Amino acid sequence: MGIENQAEKSLNLIRSRICNPNFIFKPLSDSPDSNYSKLKFIISSSITEACNNSILLLGPRGSGKVAVLELVLNDLLEQYPDTITVIRLNGLLHSEDNSAFKEIARQLCMEHNLLFSKMASFDDNSQFMIAMLRECGLAHKTIIFALDEFDLFAQGKQRLLYSLLDAMQSVTSQAVVVGVSCRLDADQLLEKRVRSRFSHRKLLFLPPSKEDVQRLLEHVLSLPMDSNLAHDYATGFNEKLQSILADERFKEIISTYLNSNPTVNHLLRFLFLAISHMELKSGFLSLENFKVALSSLQRQPKQECIKDCSILEIYILICMKRLEIKEQNSYNFISVMKEYKSIHDSFPTSDYYAQNVCLRAFEHLLQRELICFTENRGHGQSIEFRPVKLVISYAELQEGLKSYRSCPAILLKLIDR
Amino acid sequence: MGKVESPEITRRATRSSSSTAVTSNEVETAKITEPYKPTLNDFVFGGERLSFDDLLSSFPSRGNQIRELLRLLGPVNSPMLPLFIYGGPSTGKTSTILQIFRYLSRPFVYASCLTCYSPRILFESVLNQLLLHKKNAANRYSSAKHCDKPADFVNFLREDLVGVIENLKRSSKKLGSNKPAGRPNGNMLYLIFDNLELIREWDKSSSILPFMFNLYDFLKLQEVGLIFISNTSPDTYYSNMGYTEHVPVYFPEYTEEDLRQILTRNQENRKLYSSFLDVVLRPFCRTTRRVDELSTAFSALFRKYCESLSDLASVPNEEMKRRLFSHFQPHIAPSLNEVFWVPSKSSTEVEINKDTRRKGSVRKSQGCEHFAQIDFHLSTSAKYLLISAFLASRNPATLDASLFDSTGGSDSRKRKRKASEKSMEQKEAAEQELLMKGPGTFPLERLLAIFQCIISVADSFDEEEHENDVLRVEGDGGLMSDVLLQLSSLCNANFIIKGKSCPLEGSTRYRSTISEDLALKVARSLKFPLPNYLYRR
Repeated sequence: MGIENQAEKSLNLIRSRICNPNFIFKPLSDSPDSNYSKLKFIISSSITEACNNSILLLGPRGSGKVAVLELVLNDLLEQYPDTITVIRLNGLLHSEDNSAFKEIARQLCMEHNLLFSKMASFDDNSQFMIAMLRECGLAHKTIIFALDEFDLFAQGKQRLLYSLLDAMQSVTSQAVVVGVSCRLDADQLLEKRVRSRFSHRKLLFLPPSKEDVQRLLEHVLSLPMDSNLAHDYATGFNEKLQSILADERFKEIISTYLNSNPTVNHLLRFLFLAISHMELKSGFLSLENFKVALSSLQRQPKQECIKDCSILEIYILICMKRLEIKEQNSYNFISVMKEYKSIHDSFPTSDYYAQNVCLRAFEHLLQRELICFTENRGHGQSIEFRPVKLVISYAELQEGLKSYRSCPAILLKLIDR
Repeated sequence: MGKVESPEITRRATRSSSSTAVTSNEVETAKITEPYKPTLNDFVFGGERLSFDDLLSSFPSRGNQIRELLRLLGPVNSPMLPLFIYGGPSTGKTSTILQIFRYLSRPFVYASCLTCYSPRILFESVLNQLLLHKKNAANRYSSAKHCDKPADFVNFLREDLVGVIENLKRSSKKLGSNKPAGRPNGNMLYLIFDNLELIREWDKSSSILPFMFNLYDFLKLQEVGLIFISNTSPDTYYSNMGYTEHVPVYFPEYTEEDLRQILTRNQENRKLYSSFLDVVLRPFCRTTRRVDELSTAFSALFRKYCESLSDLASVPNEEMKRRLFSHFQPHIAPSLNEVFWVPSKSSTEVEINKDTRRKGSVRKSQGCEHFAQIDFHLSTSAKYLLISAFLASRNPATLDASLFDSTGGSDSRKRKRKASEKSMEQKEAAEQELLMKGPGTFPLERLLAIFQCIISVADSFDEEEHENDVLRVEGDGGLMSDVLLQLSSLCNANFIIKGKSCPLEGSTRYRSTISEDLALKVARSLKFPLPNYLYRR
């Protein structure tokens, strides 16, 4: 019982660490040339010097751009509690100009204890924002705009970006715009009038190096010695962890996993799975946990789909494949049925079913998205006559059939030709 | 108005009735008389707590998935990355996850994108559940909050979630460690979104889908767990911008062995049923592996299997099995070719073999050609109308004149020419094109003209047969005023589809959906020489 209790506590601890980006990115950002230090320097200098600034954080999805920004903002809020207002927008939510201005007005009102009117028009809101910028500038307060998914704000007329950056041209205002995007060409998307007002400062977020990964693993997985966990349990856990981390097999697992996507969030998902598979009885991590996590994250959905198919569904897939090999550029259910019949005529088996049963199997394939309609229109036409195409490659189909349990020999023969 | 009977079925009740195990709803039903006061307990299943063994035994061959999900959900109050559960239809995704929450009795909110068919309804349904708001006559069936933009939804959701989690924390602190059943366990709240694949067909799918996938990052609340359930695998979402990967949990399709376990589970006489499954399961598994489809097919077949049996409770021995099999065997092959089975009322052996899925168009299966008769009633004029619709859909309109001249179309077969290789190729290509195009559309006037032609032809045939019969000569009598009525009833039966109106002419165009087999069968019942009129390239 004692061990299990301890194990559950440590499990909770590590899981909450994984779900907390602030914890994850803290150790990666203490070196002076890290993005964290650079960003902090830029923003804090524009706060102290009371000037305007704009900056882009670029990097692949899940590389911790927002997390680092949040770390910096939290630090600055502690450092200058009265002089900063942070406005957070997200391109996925506020890419419309109207809703963006509304959200800005709402957050400004919240910060400054003003009454926010839901009914305010677009014009009211944008004028309110400009007025607030001026007022804050006069009071030597900085407004920081954090725009996540920055590339989405560059869609359409870019009115939000223009009015923001234009207002920042005046001497009185005091604001920092931080754009976060996974598109490396995000600044190229801007209109000329916006681009000329934007300072082209960019911070690039790169995937962590091997040493960083090792440091991160230790940081996330090892238990603290000064917590309410039993001391000998924590030492035992950490010793076991050290031996796993030093293991060559473990390093191989990590490197195969990170080959597909080396970002930090991707690694965290792996750690989460591995931790969830920890045996509560023994209370320690084992190499096996990481292996299981790797196999359950590296999935091949198409192969799984083929394994799920019934024999008749595979027959239909093979008929379609044969039609494609014959270079028939478009085909529908009726022509697939013709092919099915011709296969049956040359190799009679018991697997010959009526058209309506085949149609049901055909619909199952559509649901599994192994096949799809070539065009979206033509809803008036019934399913049998709408042209379809395969969305699975020849190699995938072949491999899937080989691993299919009790696949009829005739099908293997048909696909190999 | 007087007494308004409000259907006060609580949320939990409707939900648990959809799952396999039946929850006892007595507690809820007792509360119907007095106005129901929603509490925090509404976030968990009422009734008795499920034990782990019950959970495992109610889902045969899902043990691995259940254990995996329990591991991922983790101990009480441990944060979680979003999960993505996927697998084919009727593999038990939804019911498994709901029963797991019943077993854990942790608070959760469930919303299916099938019933909530637009962003606004989805958002409001989640918010209503969080605020314990129930639509009823008193609030004029309105939602707690009006919200149709993702931006508003995030703000409301965060606000409400924080409130609910506060309450959960307070109540769990108050109760301490010993909790009665039906109380929320822990202060994590889980949001379950079912049928996620349907969002892709919504109008604003390109913005809603990335929003849903990134919901966890928007909320930034550790106490909220997100679970997405989808019929299609994660790779079908890749094309969407802003896609983020979640922890995948896969529910594979059941194997033959699993199916046997599941199907015998609720049977009274398991021995008898398993001897029945020995016969039917393997051949049926070759066509479909879905539990829902198999169980409906088997329920009727099993009745037939037991027909010759006097005592349903008897345990079958080898000899009896053999006897049952020989009695039952002729039914297997035809039933394999049936998709939908309707017991006919006409007490004959003939069953209507209908395919009512998708537009409910009726197709005759090729496998039962021995049913020469059509199995449903149609009036003679409706039959002629059906045939003329079929002809109008299949034949090119330019050929009508030559096919339906006064001699009755028999001379149209005289066009014989030696086919050169090139013309053969052309023929093939044309055939291919015809296959791709499917049945054509036609205006009402053309249908009526053909109808009139074939009726006069049929009358002339009749005259040849019984020359003395004076009464038969009715001329145009076949075209009566109720033809249009017949047409509309054929449309309603989906034999003929009413298409969109033609943009040039402005009149409605029709299209016949019946297969050639059915058309020939109808023609045979009328003794009408349909093949003479079919244009073959």
